[in-house]
Amino acid sequence: MIVQQIIQKALQKAQAAQAVMLTQETSSVGFENDRLKSAESSQRTQIDVKVIVDGKVGVSSTTDPLDVDGVVNRALEAAEFGSPAHFDLPDAHSLEPVKIFDPALLPLEKPEMIRIGQQMMDMIKSYNPEILAGAEINKSVYKVEYANSKGANYAAEHTDFNVGAGGQLVRGTDILFASQGVGQKKRAVDTEEIAAQAIEYFRMAEKTVPVESGELPVVFTPSGLIALLLSLGLAIDGKNVYLGASPLRDKLNQQIASPSLTVVDNPFIEYGPRTSPFDNEGLPRKVTPLIEKGVLRNFIYDLDTAGRAGAKPTGHGSNRQLTNLVINPGETPYREMLGGIQNGLLVHEFLGLGQGNPINGEFSVNIFLGYKIENGQIMGRVKDVMLAGNAFDALKNITAVSKEREWISGPWSWIAGLMPYIQVDKLSVIAK
Amino acid sequence: MRDRLFEALKAQDVEYADIRVEDKTNTWVNYRGPDLDTIGSARTVGGIVRSLCKGGWGYATFNDLNDLPRRVQEACETARLVGRDKTYFASAEPVVDVIRAKLIKDFRQIPLAEKKARMEEYNRIILGHHKNIQTSTVRYADTFKTIWFANSEGTYIEEEKPDVNLMTAAVAREGDIVQTAFETGGSANDYQSVESFHEKARDAAQKAIELLAAPPVTGGKYTVITDPVLTGVFTHEAFGHLSESDFVYENPSMQEIMQLGKRFGVEGLNIIDDGSLPGGLGTHRYDYEGTPTRKNYLIQDGILVGRLHSRETAAKMVEPVTGNSRAVHYEHPPIVRMTNTYIDQGTVAFEDMLKDIDLGVYAIKAIGGQTAMEMFTFSAAYGYMIRNGQIAELVRDVVLTGNVFETLMNIDQIGNQVEWEPNGPGGCGKGGQHPLRVGLGGPHIRIQHCVIGGQQ
Repeated sequence: MIVQQIIQKALQKAQAAQAVMLTQETSSVGFENDRLKSAESSQRTQIDVKVIVDGKVGVSSTTDPLDVDGVVNRALEAAEFGSPAHFDLPDAHSLEPVKIFDPALLPLEKPEMIRIGQQMMDMIKSYNPEILAGAEINKSVYKVEYANSKGANYAAEHTDFNVGAGGQLVRGTDILFASQGVGQKKRAVDTEEIAAQAIEYFRMAEKTVPVESGELPVVFTPSGLIALLLSLGLAIDGKNVYLGASPLRDKLNQQIASPSLTVVDNPFIEYGPRTSPFDNEGLPRKVTPLIEKGVLRNFIYDLDTAGRAGAKPTGHGSNRQLTNLVINPGETPYREMLGGIQNGLLVHEFLGLGQGNPINGEFSVNIFLGYKIENGQIMGRVKDVMLAGNAFDALKNITAVSKEREWISGPWSWIAGLMPYIQVDKLSVIAK
Repeated sequence: MRDRLFEALKAQDVEYADIRVEDKTNTWVNYRGPDLDTIGSARTVGGIVRSLCKGGWGYATFNDLNDLPRRVQEACETARLVGRDKTYFASAEPVVDVIRAKLIKDFRQIPLAEKKARMEEYNRIILGHHKNIQTSTVRYADTFKTIWFANSEGTYIEEEKPDVNLMTAAVAREGDIVQTAFETGGSANDYQSVESFHEKARDAAQKAIELLAAPPVTGGKYTVITDPVLTGVFTHEAFGHLSESDFVYENPSMQEIMQLGKRFGVEGLNIIDDGSLPGGLGTHRYDYEGTPTRKNYLIQDGILVGRLHSRETAAKMVEPVTGNSRAVHYEHPPIVRMTNTYIDQGTVAFEDMLKDIDLGVYAIKAIGGQTAMEMFTFSAAYGYMIRNGQIAELVRDVVLTGNVFETLMNIDQIGNQVEWEPNGPGGCGKGGQHPLRVGLGGPHIRIQHCVIGGQQ
């Protein structure tokens, strides 16, 4: 195995070494502007190497399996000037069994992917022929191998299936985009439901309605929650905590959100988009409670940051990426949540998220796709409206969490997880 | 490589095929806080085949270069599966060219130890600047890439693309207030561009400290002056993307909005995209379909006169090719992208723009920008209030938002000197392709009735 060869080669000079190798085959088809536009086959190889020489870390990578000498030499060279290692490579562990490979995806070929896409396109076009529709279907089969000089040696074979559909509708100078996408590691994805959900976002936007500036109750859709989760994600990142940049750095085991909020990072959900048995540092994955009934429970640490901070690594890889983020469902049926609102907004997508100072929680975003709620009904789309506030204050002011949950995922989204609709009492809404 | 590519292209049995192969070596040195975060280098080799059949595209991407003819066959089979209509693809004269990099000071000859030591100096300057500096980021990266391109029409281009860039950022904290400031630098061909960054590192630290004491801007409508960098970001993000014909060519409603001949701004407004500009971050001799780049007017004297094309969009719209088909790397086919986009210089001196503004905002640099067709939102790095024709106090959280068509019409004065954004780690993102190197520039511009977000 190449990962083993790399370890052997590296240990001629290094005291410790690890190698991760990805081999992947992907097929995808894309529809744009009402027509089948392209299809693609892709073959990918990626090898990442980390070595420790005299207590210092060096890394390198290559896409060429024949470049074993080159990749090892570059890592060794980097280690000469590398940062001091604040960790040991992990020992071999037994891994949780996880469901990440669905044989039903293997026979899925491009003609069938085209048929699935065409069906979703047809559904959108039959709702409204003026929508310029698009769709994307992507299937991937890949293997991740990990080995280190402590004897840990793992391999995992994954399948991925990503399906998205949507479109744009132009009326005068008014342009409306709406789409829906789902990514899972199994074939059983309800593709008609994806198109139906995209259509629902168009249907609710058939009328554009005015909104007045003020402090309004706001319901975040599962996708819309990213406005709040972006700040939370940055603030629980162990590196930001260690560097003192996180506003939550001294809030562990304190109430930071409404008691109705429980957030867990769960890498073991069957066929979940980010499910996996081990991370790229050779650590077994584990369930990490982040917020329990509003109380902050954990920060996310990689091996090195954990070593520097005197904390325990959490198995989220060297870049501390969250896996499947799961928010517990609440008591309120979604319809009832809307029904209780006299005058408010339902917000789904934003422009300008992440600008400014997201780690501080401050946001001031343009509502790219959002709806006016009046007397419990969705009245239509709102336009040229800014939503401003502080994500951490908003998490404290949650007034309802829906019973229903939806997956948000896809290779394009920053976050993946199972999320409810969440109502926040009063955020600042600025209409033009 | 030339023979290998043409040999593989013999397997082509549809209407058109091309192959692009890239070999890239990159090196990085990153500091975060007092510690070296990561240091290393990587090599990436990969390629993509595109083929075209009855209007449908087939792509095959790969890291394994061993069986190129099979990748060509795979792409052709896929294209046949997709193609159902008529092909639109502008004809082109075959070109054969080899473009070697001309490096002034070659970063490949600089030992990693020297790169590290230099970045450590900048990092120490930031961290030692003031007691309220909480943390720092210093990111150095250099890349040397060779790209080989050949197509079934006989074009062969071999090009070397070097790049070296640097970012220094400071995070300052006082109580609950956290402020960030940054400076970027670098160049396409000279390590010296990152060698004397001490002053800039200090500037970033000092600005972060000053911003701690600056009040947030009060939201509302203002007369706004944007500095050349923010002018460039606005021009690129808010207007430039609408000029990319892949948004327009199959979309009748967009064609109506972006009709050539329509007035978009004042008489003095000229917006240009120029991929042939010497030394620009978005400069290439040819685009990724082998089309020579050139200077393209998008808006001339306030009138929409042109847009950016690939061979496909140009044929479909019966307009000339412009050399704007670009890809971020080998895993993606080229799509219509900007190169170096700018508002051309006007006639007004900066002082003259200020003098009749009673209350306004001078917005400087950008830390982010996002658009969705006509809507845009940009965050300036910081700003100054303008009071009674004078630059007044520093303000933070300056977010500009609005409708691009209204905003272009509201530009009433255009400065007399074009400046370009320095190199840095960022770039433009579109269709999952990020970060693509683009040049952003322009003069100071004055915008009437511009909405600044924030608490009122």
